[in-house]
Amino acid sequence: MNSIEIKNLSLNFGDVKVLKDLNLSVEKGEFLVLLGASGCGKSTLLNCIAGLLDITDGQIFINNQNVTWYEPSERGIGMVFQSYALYPQMSVEGNLSFSLKNAKLSKEEINTRVKNASEILQIEDLLKRKPAALSGGQRQRVAIGRALVRDVEVFLFDEPLSNLDAKLRTELRVEIKRLHHKLKNTMIYVTHDQIEAMTLANRIAIMRDGLILQLDNPKTIYNFPVNKYVAEFIGSPSMNFIEGRLDGTNFEFDELSFNLEGYSFKEKIKANSQVWLGVRPENIVINEADKTMPVNCDVVVEVVEPMGADTLVWSSLNGKELRFTVEGNKIVNIGDKLNVGFDPAHVSIFDFETEDRL
Amino acid sequence: MTDSQNNSGVVEPRGPKPRKIMSRRNIILYGTLLVVAIYYLIPLYVMIVTSLKGMPEIRLGNIFSPPVEVTFDPWIKAWSQACTGLNCDGLSRGFWNSVQITLPSVIVSIAIASVNGYALANWRFKGANLFFTILIFGAFIPYQIMIYPLVILLRDLGIYTKLPGLILIHSIFGMPILTLLFRNYFTTIPEELFKAARVDGARFWGIYFRVMMPMSLPIFVVAIIMQVTGIWNDFLFGVIYTKPDTYPMTVQLNNIVNSVQGVKEYNVNMAATLLTGLVPLTIYFISGKLFVRGIAAGAVKG
Amino acid sequence: MFKKAQLERLFVSLVMLAFVSLAISIIGIKPDIFQKLQFLFLTVAIIFVTLIWAQSKTIQFNSNRLRKQIFGWLLSSIFSILIWSFAQKDIQSIFPSLKGYRKALNTLEPIAIYLAIVFILFALILSIVGARDSRLDRPGYIERTLVYNLSSKIAAIPMMLTSVGIFIIATLWTVYHSFTNSRMLPKSEFIGLAQYERLWSSDRWYMSIENLAIYGACSLVFSLFIGFLLAALLDQKTRFENTFRTIFLYPFALSFIVTGLVWQWILNPEYGVEKIVRSLGFESFVFNPLYNTDIVIYGILAAGLWQGTGFIMCLMLAGLRGIDQEIWKAAKIDGIPMWKTYIQVVIPMMRPIFITTLVIIAAGIIKVYDLVVAQTSGGPGISSEVPAKYVYDYMFSAQNLGQGFAASTMMLVSVLIVLIPFAYLQFGRRKYD
Repeated sequence: MNSIEIKNLSLNFGDVKVLKDLNLSVEKGEFLVLLGASGCGKSTLLNCIAGLLDITDGQIFINNQNVTWYEPSERGIGMVFQSYALYPQMSVEGNLSFSLKNAKLSKEEINTRVKNASEILQIEDLLKRKPAALSGGQRQRVAIGRALVRDVEVFLFDEPLSNLDAKLRTELRVEIKRLHHKLKNTMIYVTHDQIEAMTLANRIAIMRDGLILQLDNPKTIYNFPVNKYVAEFIGSPSMNFIEGRLDGTNFEFDELSFNLEGYSFKEKIKANSQVWLGVRPENIVINEADKTMPVNCDVVVEVVEPMGADTLVWSSLNGKELRFTVEGNKIVNIGDKLNVGFDPAHVSIFDFETEDRL
Repeated sequence: MTDSQNNSGVVEPRGPKPRKIMSRRNIILYGTLLVVAIYYLIPLYVMIVTSLKGMPEIRLGNIFSPPVEVTFDPWIKAWSQACTGLNCDGLSRGFWNSVQITLPSVIVSIAIASVNGYALANWRFKGANLFFTILIFGAFIPYQIMIYPLVILLRDLGIYTKLPGLILIHSIFGMPILTLLFRNYFTTIPEELFKAARVDGARFWGIYFRVMMPMSLPIFVVAIIMQVTGIWNDFLFGVIYTKPDTYPMTVQLNNIVNSVQGVKEYNVNMAATLLTGLVPLTIYFISGKLFVRGIAAGAVKG
Repeated sequence: MFKKAQLERLFVSLVMLAFVSLAISIIGIKPDIFQKLQFLFLTVAIIFVTLIWAQSKTIQFNSNRLRKQIFGWLLSSIFSILIWSFAQKDIQSIFPSLKGYRKALNTLEPIAIYLAIVFILFALILSIVGARDSRLDRPGYIERTLVYNLSSKIAAIPMMLTSVGIFIIATLWTVYHSFTNSRMLPKSEFIGLAQYERLWSSDRWYMSIENLAIYGACSLVFSLFIGFLLAALLDQKTRFENTFRTIFLYPFALSFIVTGLVWQWILNPEYGVEKIVRSLGFESFVFNPLYNTDIVIYGILAAGLWQGTGFIMCLMLAGLRGIDQEIWKAAKIDGIPMWKTYIQVVIPMMRPIFITTLVIIAAGIIKVYDLVVAQTSGGPGISSEVPAKYVYDYMFSAQNLGQGFAASTMMLVSVLIVLIPFAYLQFGRRKYD
C-alpha cells in the first residue's frame, strides 16, 4: 500500500521550471530521503507534498486520497523545519498543544498526547520552558514533538539537522532513526548531507534540476550509480574518473589498457566508444592484494592524507590523478611507487557524452 | 478544468487548486487597499487641481472637480509675486534660502555623523557608549527644552539668525539618528576586513577613507535622502533661528498662506504648497526603496 | 543590599552631581562671567569626568584615590575659573597689544586658551594628587586614560560636545531657569515654583495638555492599528505591493506645513467637503472641524494620521518581513487560521518592534507643532493649542521666557515618563540575549 504517491508533479515559478513532471511513490512505513545539492528542488518538492506551495500540474495522493487541493493541515502530515519554527512566546507545552487546542480536542486528549510525545522524545522536564531557554537539540526535539502530537501518518523533515553542530547532528540522527523504528510512520526527509541520507534512508531519491535521477536503496545507489553525477555526489572521498576508450571489454587510455571482464554491462557496447571509467577510492587495493585483482597498474604517490582509521593517498597514474584509501596503519610515503589493483565488478562505466551508466 | 487521464468521469483534483479571482478574500484585501489608497491620494489630487484653476472657478465649483480652464498663473504668482505681509517676492526667496541651508547642512551633518558612527563601531573607547546613549536620548527629548540655550549660544557665536547658525543647528539635531544609522551599518561590515586593514598598516583615517567609505556608499545615499527631506521640511528651527530675510521655504510658505492680509487666493496657496512639497516628493519618488530603507534602518534597529 | 562596587559608583555619581550643580549655580548666579563659555566649560569638564569614570571600574572605596580625584577636579575647575576671570580682566592691561589681536580673533582665541588651561591643569593636578596612589602611580596612566585610541576620541568630539554640551547642559539650563523669573532675558532670580503654578493655572496650558492627550491617544491607537493592518494586507503576497506602499508613504516625505495647509483647504467649509456634501442635496450638512472648537483637534488628527501612518506601516512591514517564514509554514501545517496566527504568534513575536514604534510615535506626538501652526494657528481661539506651541509663543512672542522654560520642562518630564521604562526594557532585553 502506498502512503504517498506523486503523479506528474510539476511546478513553475514564472518561467523557471523548478519541478519537472515528477513521479514518486512512497510505501507505508518507508523512510525516504530526498538528497541533492542546494537548488535541486528537494525542499520545494517537500513543500508541495505539504501543500505549502501551489503546484502547477499533477496530483498528490496521501494514504490513497487525492489531497492535491487540500489545505496543509488537512493532509495528515507533520513537518519539522530547519529553523525549528517554534512559537517563541509559548512554552514547550504550548507549542505542542497549540494545534490540538485549535482543532478543539478535549483537554484530557490533549494532555495524554502531549504526555506521550514528551515521553517518547524525553522532553518531560522541559515542558514549562520557553524555546529561547532550550538548546538547539532540545528545540529540534520539541519541533519533532509538535509533529508527533498531531498523530499523523506522514512525517516531513526539511533539513532538520542543518542548524546543529556536528556532534549533536550525529546524536539526533540516531535518535530519528530510533524514532522511525518505534513509530513506523512514513517519513520523507530532505537533506544535502549524504551521510545522513545513507544512514537513515530505506530509499534515497537523488535530485538534480527538478528531476529525480535515481531512486533506490542506499546500497544500490552507492554501488550502481545511474550516471556520473550520482556517482560523484555519493561517496566520500569521491569516485575517481578516468577518460578512455572502450573496445569490447578492453578499456584503453594513453598507453595503458585494462581488461574489464566481470563488469556487468547493461547493453552491448559499440566498438571503440569514448567512456568514463569510475573507480571508488575504497575499492582500490595496494601491494599484496594486487596480485589477486584482475586489473592492476603502477602509480606514484603524490600526497598522503592520514585520517586516522584510514589514509587517503593521492597518486599519479600516468599523469592522471588517482585517489585511493589504505588502512591507517600502513605507511605510505610521498614518491613511493605502488602497484594498485581493483576488481572490474566494482567499477562503473559511463558514456562520455550522456554520462549515463553503461 | 478537464481531466483527460481520468476515465471514471469524476473530475479528479489535479494541478493548482482553483482559486477565484473575485474571492471574498481578494475583494476585502484589494478593496481595503484601494479605499485607503484613494484617501491617501485625494490631498495630492486636490492640490494639483486647485493650483491649476482660476479663482472664479474655485468659487463656483468644488475642490474635487478638474479644472475647466487650465491656467499656470497661480504657479507663477506663487513663485515670484505672492506676499507674506513683509515682502512680495513669492516663494523663490525661500527656495534659494532652503537650498543654501540644506546643502551644507547635509554635507556637514553626514560628515560628522559618519565619522562618529565609525568611531563608535570600530574604535570603541571606554565611555563612548555612554555618550552615545545620551545622544540617542537627545533624539527623543522635545527640542523645545534646548531651543533657548541654543539661541544664546548662536548669539554668542555671532551667527544667530544667519544661515551658518541654522546649519549648525541642523548638524546638531541630525546627529543622533544619523550616528545611529552609520554605527549600525559599520558594525555589519565584517570585522575581519577592518582587522586586515589594520594589519596592513592603515590607521584610523586611512581605514575610514579607503576601506569603510567606499564600502558604504548605499548608506551614504540613504543618509543624504533622509537629511535632504528632513532639513527641507523643517519648520521649527527655521522659524526660530532665522529672520525674514533668511527664512527657509516652509516658513515662507506658511507666511504666504496664513497671512491675514488681502483676499485669500486659494489657487496660489495650493501652487505654493505644491512647490514646497516638490523637492522632497521628487526625491521620494526617485529614491523609492532607499527611502524606505532609510527610515526602517533608522528606526527598527534602534 | 548593595554591592560594594555599586555603592562606590553611587557615591561617585552623587559627587559628580553635586559638582555639576555647583558649577551650574555659579553660572546661574553670575552669568556675565561666563557669558560666552558657560556651555563649553561644563561640557569639557563633564566629558573628562566621564572618560575618567568609565576608566576606573575598580575604584577602591577605602583608598584615597577617589577623594583625590574629586578633589583634583574641584581644584582644577576652581583654578581654571580663577585664571579665566583673571585673564578676562587683567590680561589686557598687562599685555595691551593683545587687545587688538583679541578683537580680530573674536571669540575663538579665548576658547582655545581656556581649553588648553583646563587640560594642562587637569593633567598636572591629577599627576600631583595621584602621585602616591598605586594605580595612578603606574607609568602611562594618563596616557591610557586620555591618549589611548586618540584619533577615535578626536573623531568623537562632535558627538561628545553635542551629547553633553547641548543635550545635557542645555536641558539642565532650561530646567534651572524654569525656576527663575526670566522674562525678556534669562535671569537668575530664584522664584521657586511660581512659574509652574502660573502654568498650571493657565487655561491655555490646560487646553494644550487636553489636546495633546486626545491627539496622542488617538494617533497612537489609530496609527498603530491602521499601520499594522495595512502592513498585514501588503504582506499577503499582494500584487502591486510597491505601488500601494509608495502611495501610503508619500505623505511622510512632505513637510508638516504642506500637510497642514492641504488639509486646511480640504476641510474648508466654504469650498471643501462640506460644500460638496451640501451640493449633493444635504443642505443642512455641517462638517467644519477646523472652525468648531470642540472637534478641531480631530481635524488636525486626520491630517496627522494621513502623514504618519505610512511610516508606521513601513516599520510594521519590516517587522513582518523579519519573521521566519517557517513559522508561517508551521502554523499552516498545524491548521491555525491566519488571523489567529497573527494574534497569537506573530504579534507577540513583534513585541520589540511594537515597543520601538510606540516610543517613536510618542516622541513625535509631543513634538507636534508645525501641523497645528499651519492648519489652525492654534485656533479657533485657543482650542487647538498644543504644548510645543505654548512654549514657542511664550519664548519668542510673549517675551515670557520663564513660562516657556516651565512648559518645556513639563514636556521633558512627560517624555521621560515614556522613555525611562523603554530604556529599562531595552536594557532588560539585551541582558537576556
